[in-house]
Amino acid sequence: MFFQVLFRVLGSSDLWQATLQFAALLVLPALAGVISERSGVVNIAMEGMMLTGAYVGVMSALATNNVFVGVLGAMIAGGVMALIHAVVSINFHANQIVSGLAVNIAALGLTNYLLLVQTNGQGVPHLANALRLPIVTWGPLANIPFLGPVLFQQNIIFYVAIVILIATQFILFRTNVGLRIRAVGEHPQAADTAGVNVRLVRYLCVISGGFLSGLAGAFLAMGIAGIFNSNMTAGAGYIALAAVIFGKYNPLGAGGACLIFGLGEALSTRLQDTGISPNLLSTLPYILTIIALVGLVGRTIPPAADGIPYDPGSE
Amino acid sequence: MAVQTTQSTPPTSKLRSTSWLRKFTSAVGRPLFAFILAMIAGIIVIMITSQGSPGDRFSAALTAYQDLFVGSFGNAQNFSFTLVTVTPLILTSISVAIAFRGGLFNIGAEGQLAVGAMVAGIIAFKVPTWPGWALIPLMITGSMLAGAIWGGIVGILKAWRGAHEVVTTIMLNWIAFYVTDYLIDGPFKALNQADQTDALPKQATFPTVASAYNHTLGTFLPQITNPQQYPIDISIFIALLALIVYWFIVSRTTFGYEIRVIGQNPKAAQYAGIPTKRNIFLVMAIAGAFSGLAGSLHLMGQFPYQLIGSTFRIDPTGFDAIGVALLGRTTAIGVLLASLLFGGLLYGGSYMQLFANVPGDLVYIIQALVLFTIAAEFLPAIQRALPRGLFASRKPALVPSIEGATISDIPENDKNNGGVMQEGALTGPPGVFRDSPGENESSGQPSTAVDDSNRSAED
Repeated sequence: MFFQVLFRVLGSSDLWQATLQFAALLVLPALAGVISERSGVVNIAMEGMMLTGAYVGVMSALATNNVFVGVLGAMIAGGVMALIHAVVSINFHANQIVSGLAVNIAALGLTNYLLLVQTNGQGVPHLANALRLPIVTWGPLANIPFLGPVLFQQNIIFYVAIVILIATQFILFRTNVGLRIRAVGEHPQAADTAGVNVRLVRYLCVISGGFLSGLAGAFLAMGIAGIFNSNMTAGAGYIALAAVIFGKYNPLGAGGACLIFGLGEALSTRLQDTGISPNLLSTLPYILTIIALVGLVGRTIPPAADGIPYDPGSE
Repeated sequence: MAVQTTQSTPPTSKLRSTSWLRKFTSAVGRPLFAFILAMIAGIIVIMITSQGSPGDRFSAALTAYQDLFVGSFGNAQNFSFTLVTVTPLILTSISVAIAFRGGLFNIGAEGQLAVGAMVAGIIAFKVPTWPGWALIPLMITGSMLAGAIWGGIVGILKAWRGAHEVVTTIMLNWIAFYVTDYLIDGPFKALNQADQTDALPKQATFPTVASAYNHTLGTFLPQITNPQQYPIDISIFIALLALIVYWFIVSRTTFGYEIRVIGQNPKAAQYAGIPTKRNIFLVMAIAGAFSGLAGSLHLMGQFPYQLIGSTFRIDPTGFDAIGVALLGRTTAIGVLLASLLFGGLLYGGSYMQLFANVPGDLVYIIQALVLFTIAAEFLPAIQRALPRGLFASRKPALVPSIEGATISDIPENDKNNGGVMQEGALTGPPGVFRDSPGENESSGQPSTAVDDSNRSAED
């Protein structure tokens, strides 16, 4: 009985399409985390940056009647939240976990506050189709059975996310810029001596993470849901954090982790027929992460200077 | 890790004898600064989002704050509601604070609270016929044990496998939320009710303070009229008792001393022969027990005396506790005062929304700003920026040994044990206090650590 349902579910293109969609949603904030932590700034604020992005994205799309402005607004909003985290933790030496947590709390408070004030408690209306992020259909490819709907009929952000994922992996490990980012995260003194502006690199990394998280927020609100709800990220940013660690601070690793978490998420709503509670299935990503941390799949070692502020010898 | 300030730090003994006042201002100044700054920012937020002339906007902000105050401490009834939010806040804040003392960051208070409440509920549903004097202690013990296990897992993973407690607590939070949701909507679901359990048996619930008073002291003293107006139950006294226990553990026991040393510098602790791993496990288990207690007390003390699905994941208590512990500088009295403040903000916020038409979520913005201000070294940064000449003698940068350093490896600045009150320092999570330029990123390393332990020894 159980296996019958499982196989039926596993064979449906619907499941894999949802898996990839969740994975794309998670991989953007996960990359934000990877970039930020690689440069030595602990970032647990992806949740807050996504939420702010989602809200500002929807509101600016509605205000200007333009999807593009909405996405841009979402990314800028995420960037601003990231900037706050960056200033507080890079210049003012804040504990980066407290700062990240404060970003998340501020984002929740701010979006709820503005949602009530700006809509007079009515809530945001559903976005019209023209204001939603479009689904890209790849001509005849979309008609291939199974693979078509899974790979060639996804939201535009899905393809953007893949490009960003590969680009991040390439930049981090194959370019000069990536070398600098990693140097700053591993040994800021050495990087400083070699002429790298440690603080600038960290700022840029955290803020570009904010852009990515904001984009994920736009994807969630303007692509998947088509509406903004209070606290609609519901922990996605934290799962992305888990993916960062599960993926051992590597972009591709984080992408793989997002695939697993996405599958878990997609399965949890589709396996109800088997009698397994979706609530229990939803714990899977978190349990996997703990297992990864405990070292059963090899040890996860964060960048050496992760979380440690750096002051260029200012004298 | 010595904090460099404008004044050179005098020897401990002298400082202790000279200036209690300075100690006081230094202890209260920074939290107060944080709070005032956050309140001002709150005014700005209200002014931006309200309508009318600047004067109108300003008076709108003042009205909102007035309602915030009336709603939290303005009268006995509102204060009683505030105390309802304060009770679990005190306990979870102790949980976060004791972990801070040990250099650990317990973001998992909410999950520990959830499993505590769940286990207390399960016990009550399994043996609903037991009398109250047996059932209540059993539920309390069960909840503390469940919380201790939930926290202890984090401690074990941290001590023996090096898994970062921030990540494991976040993961365990979500596991706790989903598992409790499963149990509430599954095995322990009330008949014909979706997503909630039955109410606890009557004998497993706490009376309110008002009705308890009326039945005891009130029999010969003046009675409280309308006791049902005052929802605070007697579990507030258990929370206060827990504060005393917490104070005793951290300042009067060897264990309290040991975790403090571990919090400041795990390596120094190890060289001193302190069983680091065991203590990390113990401190997380104790932290979990306090949070678990918060869960069961709230369940037994407050209407509707039942578990409802999805409540824990939207309940902010365990996260508010982090702000409370930081604002209260992890001292018992500080936790009490900061809990009252945050609890007042939370309840007063809903009141403000009702009467001043300003969304209660404003208090979260205020709370976040408090966190930012406490975590960030605004004051030292300002000091640093002003008189450059005062910092002529700067320590040379030490050879860093930051290999594998995690956040919790960075020693925490301790100021509560000695009398070494330094400006710009507060007891908080490890690594909050990164100080003057020049001895920055190397703060996790042994040479400064020796400094620190020497100083503690002098105390």
